[in-house]
Amino acid sequence: MEFKDYYKILGVNEDAELKEIKKAYRKLALKFHPDMNPDVGAEEKFKQVAEAYEVLKDQTKRAEYDEMKRYGSNSEQGFTPPPGWQSYGSNHSANNDSSADFSDFFNSVFGGRAQGFGTGGAQQHKGQDLEMEVPVFLEESVTGLTKSLEYSIPVFDGKQSKQIKKSLNVKIPAGIADGARIRVKGQGAPVHGASDDNSQFNGDLFLHIRLVPHPLFDVQGLNLLLTVPVTPWEAALGTKLEVPTLNGKISLNIPANCNTGKKLRIKGKGLKNKTAQGDLLVLIKIDIPPTTNNETKKLWEQFAEIEQYNPRQDWSN
Amino acid sequence: MTQITLHIHLDELCLNPDINQETILEVVEYGIVSPINGDTISEWAFDLESAYWIKKAVKLSRELQIDWVATAMVIELLKSKQQLEKENTQLKSRLNRLL
Repeated sequence: MEFKDYYKILGVNEDAELKEIKKAYRKLALKFHPDMNPDVGAEEKFKQVAEAYEVLKDQTKRAEYDEMKRYGSNSEQGFTPPPGWQSYGSNHSANNDSSADFSDFFNSVFGGRAQGFGTGGAQQHKGQDLEMEVPVFLEESVTGLTKSLEYSIPVFDGKQSKQIKKSLNVKIPAGIADGARIRVKGQGAPVHGASDDNSQFNGDLFLHIRLVPHPLFDVQGLNLLLTVPVTPWEAALGTKLEVPTLNGKISLNIPANCNTGKKLRIKGKGLKNKTAQGDLLVLIKIDIPPTTNNETKKLWEQFAEIEQYNPRQDWSN
Repeated sequence: MTQITLHIHLDELCLNPDINQETILEVVEYGIVSPINGDTISEWAFDLESAYWIKKAVKLSRELQIDWVATAMVIELLKSKQQLEKENTQLKSRLNRLL
């Protein structure tokens, strides 16, 4: 196991005062916090900084760490705590989920004794909640589905953290919307040191539903948007088309003189939830044929001669 | 089959090591989230979106060592950012269909 130089991580001297340590932490936390910094590696860097601060802000932990640093920071075979090493607080319960993110080095020295920044106290706490993004197809969101999920839960056995694979079938209700969240009770991480993963104090699993982009439809609340390409003559003369919906094709009258961007509303053909039903909004897009033969070119020229319309007449004002 | 829910009660939220009734009261008072029901604090329940923001607010407050005013502001900006990113993705998709 690699020895962690917490002073180096925070960029402070070994005799730095608490005020200086706090200042260095704040600066680095703002720089690397995953909500502020989307770069790859920023989250890992933030975890290291948080771990270093967790130790150096606490007088007792810092003294233990300094002792450990003198003992084994230069070992070429990697770091192991001295035989019989027991941290001052290693018998304390450690329910804080902060230590789940800390390194094996931290856990071997402090026994997962992260106080984090929490409130402490004797109240019974539960294990870590987990978040998971679940992609759902639009069609599935309409009917509801049973989703097989596979994920890892962090388990701390009192000495080190490890990841245990878990699989689960979850029923996703019909009418679920993009961005919706579902809570699966007791399927998160167990309390630190607990062996029973069905404990009533397991954390929860929170599912964040993400609709997979559909090849035809866009979603706007409960409304579905369908862009329908039409030829210039269909747009000018009007026509009857078959258009897809989520439950089969329907016939649609395109009125004459329909321009690009014209919206036609088909009531009740959108998405629905428990209280409301959305519509299908058909958006017209005029599509010019990609190639023009001599005959059609002549017809366009005739059309240009007859029709004196100038769509840019406002530009001359 | 597993038990799923779409809301969470205050007592259950307080089982998280970093969350207690006082914290939730601060988060609600600063307008970060609102409970979906309950006349008294002990009866409060939250939808899961609010539960997400409560946990996020508590985490940001302790990790960045910022007070509740600053936390409320950061959360407001994060919510706006998420909403704008979502709208941007939707508009891009619609634009691509028109091009």
